[in-house]
Amino acid sequence: MKTFLAALLVFFAAGGQAQLADPEQEARAQDLMREIRCVACENEPISNSGSDIAADMRERVRAMVAEGRSDAEIRNWFAERYGEFVLFRPSARGPGGWLLWGTPFILLVSGGVIVLALRKRSRAARAEIDAVDPEEAGSA
Amino acid sequence: MIEAGHFAAFLALVFCGFQAGFGLTGDRVRSGLFAGLGFAAMAFAFMTLVWAFARSDFSVELVAAHSHTLKPFGYKIAGTWGNHEGSMALWCLVGLGFGAAGAWLMKSGRPVFEARALGVQGLLSLGSLAYLLFASSPFTRLDPAPLQGAGLNPLLQDPALAIHPPMLYLGYVGYSFVFALAAAGLIDGRIDRQWARTARIWALAAFVPLSLGIALGSYWAYYELGWGGWWFWDPVENASLMPWLIGAALMHSLIVTEKRGSFSSWTALLAVLAFCFSMLGAFLVRSGVLTSVHSFAVDPLRGAVLLFGLLALGGAALVLFALRAPKLSAGPPWLAASREGALMGNNLVLAVATATVLLGTLFPLIAEAFGQTVSVGEPYFNLTFTPIMALALLALPIVQAWAWGKADLASFWKWAAGFAGLVAAFWLAGIGPLDIPLLAGIGLALGVWLVFGAAQEIWRRAKTLARLPQMPLRVWGMTLAHAGLGIFVIGAVLQTSGRTQTTLALQEGEAQAIAGWQVRLDDVSSIEGPNWYAERATLTATRGGSKTELHPQKRYYPAARMPTTETAIHKTGTGDLYIALGDGRRNQAGETRWTFEVFHNPLIDFIYLGVVLIALGAGLCMSGKRTKTKPETA
Repeated sequence: MKTFLAALLVFFAAGGQAQLADPEQEARAQDLMREIRCVACENEPISNSGSDIAADMRERVRAMVAEGRSDAEIRNWFAERYGEFVLFRPSARGPGGWLLWGTPFILLVSGGVIVLALRKRSRAARAEIDAVDPEEAGSA
Repeated sequence: MIEAGHFAAFLALVFCGFQAGFGLTGDRVRSGLFAGLGFAAMAFAFMTLVWAFARSDFSVELVAAHSHTLKPFGYKIAGTWGNHEGSMALWCLVGLGFGAAGAWLMKSGRPVFEARALGVQGLLSLGSLAYLLFASSPFTRLDPAPLQGAGLNPLLQDPALAIHPPMLYLGYVGYSFVFALAAAGLIDGRIDRQWARTARIWALAAFVPLSLGIALGSYWAYYELGWGGWWFWDPVENASLMPWLIGAALMHSLIVTEKRGSFSSWTALLAVLAFCFSMLGAFLVRSGVLTSVHSFAVDPLRGAVLLFGLLALGGAALVLFALRAPKLSAGPPWLAASREGALMGNNLVLAVATATVLLGTLFPLIAEAFGQTVSVGEPYFNLTFTPIMALALLALPIVQAWAWGKADLASFWKWAAGFAGLVAAFWLAGIGPLDIPLLAGIGLALGVWLVFGAAQEIWRRAKTLARLPQMPLRVWGMTLAHAGLGIFVIGAVLQTSGRTQTTLALQEGEAQAIAGWQVRLDDVSSIEGPNWYAERATLTATRGGSKTELHPQKRYYPAARMPTTETAIHKTGTGDLYIALGDGRRNQAGETRWTFEVFHNPLIDFIYLGVVLIALGAGLCMSGKRTKTKPETA
């Protein structure tokens, strides 16, 4: 059991960082940590990861927040250092960014337009449409 | 024993062939008979697997690879489907089960249509059985048999996760029968009200377990991973969300087809897509094309076979759809402001939401093809999926009162004013002591709005208190599901915006404050379980007069050489105090400090309560009063 304890101590040697004193700054740092991907793990943000590098990255985030850097500056710093890959919020620049961020809204609007356009065909009959009594629906 | 099971699985394969052959040629009785026989054979084959796991028969390769004598009995059984081959066997079993249940329960008055549905289901089962037997057979022997098994992933040794896969598969594979019904309807060229009455039941029968399965998985992630959250927008989670969203769209679209005969081609398309997304999910989880925290059995070759199956199936269905859709009847005309229009809006939003999840999940792959590495995570979905869904939720209470064909819009402004008032109330409260940010205020208002809207709708229908208990079960089901959605939204918003997270580093005897709680570390000791040992912390948390002890653990499973987190959760009426034990660190002075991730998650149970209500509501809709069936003359 003693050896196991020792093994555990080595295994989880990371972690245990000081939190920022200002709760607002700490909250901002935590939000950022949820958006930055650990470079050593599979698809985990640094806020969740138990790896050493994630602990270092967390400390880095806190340090930069304490220095008063903006969210965008911190994101850029990480992206420059580790690549776009570390940001769970991919940039909206370039054709890829447009595709990713624009598609949902374009689909929503164009879908709505298509549905309405398909319905327009039967416009002539629209004046004659009447409300259907709920009891009647389904028995016609 | 396992050889008998292997033989039975081949027998099931042959029976499925007969089911498909008789079914597609229109022989309802024989096809149904072989569906039953196939299910019986597969049930026996699956039982031999369960038996091998129960006895820890390590001469079976699968058992040797995934079980261990020290494992608790219940998890030995659950180990049957806790791996790729076994879970594929479960997939086949459920598919054959739906075929047999369909043969037994379908009473649409159209024997040829039913026969074709059974035939298509037979083909689908044939495909999955062939994949099981020839690409991932669980019935392989090992010679010589090892003395001890290699253990099961300890993360899977958990009650929620033991029943999570069967639930999920009832949903995924349930949609295969909906697919079969749609294919049969398209072959017939009749996706009409009669068809919708039959399909509705099966679409709901798949939706209920799928909802519960997703909720179980999410709850498991909440208490087991030690991250304090409940949804991580991980590819594996997204894989289960997509068929759920399409399934939700489908059951609403089916209402229009059932009541009015409209939307028939769109409904058929959704019915086809629901199963395609289920298969896509299986492909994403098993092929390893996407990195995920909890994908298992990663094998590119198997993935390729699954992808081929998916493309063949989807392609065939789309060709059939393209051939038949123009011939389907369009139903009576409707205005944009009508029940039809409202449900079309629901479908549009759910379809776009599904597309968004799909895009976000696959985008890293697309980017990789262009030589870029990109991660898409929570922030993306929060900024796209969430506002689009919020739009639908905002509209729901207003538009659900709209009549078929043409709605009376006189009360629209009253509703709009009502919602504005609600937002204002929450926002004003936010300026005060509650300190709610504006977005969270809108989110909470949305949740309350939905619950209120659900209550208002059933009241509008019942008109008097005395008639309330006599409302049809379908109406109650809808009310419960929509109220559940509201409760879910309240829970999700509070959890996202109101949680507190702190990392504590404590020495024995030390105490610190978080979210109104005073947390003291009493001691950390070593304990042993049947197949693990652990560090177990004892913490005392006090708030006001109440005092509670928490025991988070850090476990180690030697057979699997894997550590796990056992969080300690103290539930109160207003939320969870959630503690995960981190690591111990000794400093130069020889003092050991233990770190803890401590969360306060307000009202997180609302999330699960909401989903359970949605599932319950959908279940009630199944048993609801049926519209009278006219005798079929054709």
